[in-house]
Amino acid sequence: MSGPRVPAVEGLFTDDDGVARLLGSRCATCGTPYFPASSLCHHPDCDDSATEDASFGPSGTVWSYSVQNYPPPAPAIYDEPYEPYALAVVDLDDGLRVVGRMEPGGSAPEVGGRVEVVVGPIRTDDDGTERTSWMFRTV
Amino acid sequence: MRDVAVVGVGMHPWGKFADKSVTELCRDAVVAALADAGIGWRDVEAVAAASSRFSGGKGWGLNGNDVVEDLGSTGVPVYNMSAGCAAGANAFNVGYSLVAGGMHDVVMVVGGEKMPKGFIQTSGVEDVNDPEYLRQRCVGMPGPSFWALLARHRMAELGTTEETYAQVAVKAHRIGKHNEYARFRQEFTLEQVLESAMVSDPLRLYEICPVSDGAAAAVICSAEAARRLTSDPVWVAGSAVATARFDDGLPRGLAGIVPDGPAHHSEAAAAVAKALDQAGVEPTDLDLTELQDNTVYYELAFPEEWGLCKPGEADQLLHAGETMPTGRMPINPSGGFICFGEATTAQGVFQICELTWQLRGQAGERQVPGARVGLAQSLGLGGNGAAVVLKK
Repeated sequence: MSGPRVPAVEGLFTDDDGVARLLGSRCATCGTPYFPASSLCHHPDCDDSATEDASFGPSGTVWSYSVQNYPPPAPAIYDEPYEPYALAVVDLDDGLRVVGRMEPGGSAPEVGGRVEVVVGPIRTDDDGTERTSWMFRTV
Repeated sequence: MRDVAVVGVGMHPWGKFADKSVTELCRDAVVAALADAGIGWRDVEAVAAASSRFSGGKGWGLNGNDVVEDLGSTGVPVYNMSAGCAAGANAFNVGYSLVAGGMHDVVMVVGGEKMPKGFIQTSGVEDVNDPEYLRQRCVGMPGPSFWALLARHRMAELGTTEETYAQVAVKAHRIGKHNEYARFRQEFTLEQVLESAMVSDPLRLYEICPVSDGAAAAVICSAEAARRLTSDPVWVAGSAVATARFDDGLPRGLAGIVPDGPAHHSEAAAAVAKALDQAGVEPTDLDLTELQDNTVYYELAFPEEWGLCKPGEADQLLHAGETMPTGRMPINPSGGFICFGEATTAQGVFQICELTWQLRGQAGERQVPGARVGLAQSLGLGGNGAAVVLKK
């Protein structure tokens, strides 16, 4: 039986309504997307600076992928014994290029393949608590 | 701006030196550079040094002050430059600017490093406002995986194969074995590279540079001083630094914007373009290039991104032997980071040493025949890029 689900870091994503979304912001003037949220726009061609809350996803296209064949150093967290996981860079349809793990056990990614953002565990603690993050699922 | 010459270079070999301090490594390099220039320590008017995050520097990156105290506190000004792995090259740019601008006639540029074992760690600060912390905690993707993502994208975009990546490492060791300062001096077969452990798919252990200890130094001076010291100076035709552009599309943090064009290291491209422009040299005129090959991917991607060859052409140039010292686009005749490992902040100065030896015709078995103009390029955390063009 799985325990409670706790985000690895609070405030970066949600799947409360059944659809996973990344929580960020967008420049009110030039539309530049930010994840994590930025209160200011950093685009050098934008003279304004106000941003507003925005969420991103779930659909996107794989720009590239890799497999993390060795355990990464702290502060990364993972289940032990270590199982390699796939990583991807995904161009979300709403203009954000974002990194993340592929969902464990899913089919292998392909460059140009379609994926969706999901929320899943990156580590399960001894007491059953699942530490979650955003990840990608091949569709 | 005054003309600036390189009149002396020196290095401590790269490797792992548990019983030496970084300042001792630097001392060897500085003493060798002084001897090569035919000057003494008291002739040095200023020091431009790379700041290390990992060793010496009193915990503040004051590595140049360590060097001055060690060689003798003459009261000279010291400039400690922090630019991640580009710090050595940034220090060179500062030294160049001091001489070119007329502030000093003789400047010592030095970079030294002793690296901790294993992957380079993040700052260690668990700060949710730090994108690097979020990237490691929420995803877990250390340095090699960044390179692997670029390498995989190239495979999909341009058809580069895993065998071609492995061949870059084979070629690097075929040259690097001749370099007495290199850490790894043996040849590897294609099969040996392909059989080395997969670190971050598609990149294998022998295709990624490990961390090393090492130090390098260069004496640079005004044209007037150079004429007193040598009949065979090497000239700094261009020296430039740059930082990354907002929209270059590399997956550096958690997320960025999808760029209009291909993703690339904009800090490297800008620094190289500026240095070449300053030198009045076309990319295709270069006789040799020392570039930052943290991984074999860069030896293929960078020459294309800078216009040394066409996009997708680097693979065939490699297989035709054209990136060897005797080819028409020699890349990393030193053996590069693949044969040296990365003593992070020393790398930019090590490249100056190699270019200088090449342009003087002193590179022995790895000599580029008739080399007259060479490019050195490095980049570092924070989007720091640096490039130097040296000429006969």
